[in-house]
Amino acid sequence: MEHPGPAIAARDIVRDYGERRALDGFSLEVPRGGVFGILGPNGSGKSTFIAMLAAMEQPGSGELRVLGEAPSRALRARVGTVFQENSADPLMRTAEYLRFAGRLFGVQGGALKERIPALLERFGLAQRAGDPVSTLSGGMRRRLEVARALLHEPEMLLLDEPTTGVDPEERQILWDTLGEARGSTTVLLATNDLAEADAACDRVAFVQDGRVVATGTPAELKQGLRRDAVRITWPGATAEELAVVGGWPGTGEILRDEDTVHVTADDASALVPRLFELAGRGIRGVRIESSSLEDAYFRYIQRRAGGSK
Amino acid sequence: MSALTAMTTMAERELLNIARSRSQLYSSILTPLLFLVFLGNGVSSGLQPANLAAGNFTAYLVAGTVVMTSVFSSTFSSASYFRDRDNGVLRLLLSTPHHPRVILLGKSLASLVIGVVQALVVLVAAAPFVEFEWQHGVLPGFAIAVSAVVLLNLMLTGLAQAFASRIQSMQGFHLLMNLALFPLLFFSGAFFPIDGLPVWLRVMAFANPLTYAVDAMQLATYAAGGEGFIGLPFDFAVLGTVAVLVYALGLSRIPRLTQSGQ
Repeated sequence: MEHPGPAIAARDIVRDYGERRALDGFSLEVPRGGVFGILGPNGSGKSTFIAMLAAMEQPGSGELRVLGEAPSRALRARVGTVFQENSADPLMRTAEYLRFAGRLFGVQGGALKERIPALLERFGLAQRAGDPVSTLSGGMRRRLEVARALLHEPEMLLLDEPTTGVDPEERQILWDTLGEARGSTTVLLATNDLAEADAACDRVAFVQDGRVVATGTPAELKQGLRRDAVRITWPGATAEELAVVGGWPGTGEILRDEDTVHVTADDASALVPRLFELAGRGIRGVRIESSSLEDAYFRYIQRRAGGSK
Repeated sequence: MSALTAMTTMAERELLNIARSRSQLYSSILTPLLFLVFLGNGVSSGLQPANLAAGNFTAYLVAGTVVMTSVFSSTFSSASYFRDRDNGVLRLLLSTPHHPRVILLGKSLASLVIGVVQALVVLVAAAPFVEFEWQHGVLPGFAIAVSAVVLLNLMLTGLAQAFASRIQSMQGFHLLMNLALFPLLFFSGAFFPIDGLPVWLRVMAFANPLTYAVDAMQLATYAAGGEGFIGLPFDFAVLGTVAVLVYALGLSRIPRLTQSGQ
């Protein structure tokens, strides 16, 4: 059921829950194949959008096409969804749960018998096939969820914060395994883990207050950032002090996130001594890194400090 | 993919989970049997049940106990709805390509099967030890009893489903089911004949659908004749109508997630 257009085409989607507007003119185009990340803070509308793609929510207004169709129950057979929360029945055995879910998504007989052991093997769960789901670790349960979502060989995989609460090793296993699906399946990842998105996604969209504020490849979004990213733990920083820092040559964006001030600079080694000269003991710590997707994210998403440029 | 496969898949999983909840399974059968042994024998020995057609209270109590078993069973089975919601399973079920009513049908099919089986286990276990008249013959009498139990469980499953789809907590659900069903049990003829009751209690009893299930069961097993009973045609007419209406009500209530899909 291939179609030539984008995997997802959303235009001006609005969705209200009572007084609260969850999506506010949400527009996005996701190409077929590869991993596309939707990044945004909690409550920015990521999960609402995912629920719409899975036809579990309807847009109040706007136009949404998924794999060339308007979202519907029938379309769910072509889409696999991993929810933010686990959905595996803890009373069932691991393989039994996959059989149950597979049958509900239309996988029958031989295909089921062939795919379940293959997926359990691929996701490192073959040894636990007969164990109750309740005995699996958190990371194993997340892997089981992804295996379940792939069981009916969907054309699109929706991952809503799939690695929340998963340790780094488990996270790596999950992404290594998911890498095999790259190309044949369009993967949409909603997350607020910027490092994960930087590593895994071919393209990303930044979402804030129910709308997309920027989209592109991680490299494109990082363009224009200064070479170094300096994270300063500076609880008492004033707007005046930040304005002074912003006036120094070679300083780029200045953004504030509670006690941390993010500064991009051409040369951090020249910036840091001047910072200590300015603020002295007010600075609790300094971390210097190369500019990352996180810096691009803060540039677009976070509230800007009073003295930012 | 067929809705029938989805429905039977759901039912199979529900039955498997119930079979694994051994304590629930055993207690729902043992409780009514103990109730029958102690209350039946106690009342038979301690009272002169002159109002009873066959004079044996234990035999009289069997029909009521079977109805009570169905009440307990439907309540316990429908609690799986809350377990699914709390475990996140409901989110998965509502994300399948099937209409939520297909999912509900599967769940209620399991509830119906387990309710009927448990009720009949109680009937079969008690029958050899009490004096049943089997006025229509043993097999026809058993068939009548099975029919009454199926309709009763259909009604109770629909009622439990209607409540479960709108109540937030399992505790609230149990409380409401108990509040709704226990008074109905007492005024159904399950524990004492409704014939000798004051008029206002008899009016309540005749407005109570459980009364007709008990009456049909009594006529099928315990009673020697029709005197003092409502009668099978009327029992099945009322029970069938109410069961279909209440089940349709339960099925019309689409389950909701705790939160909207966000």
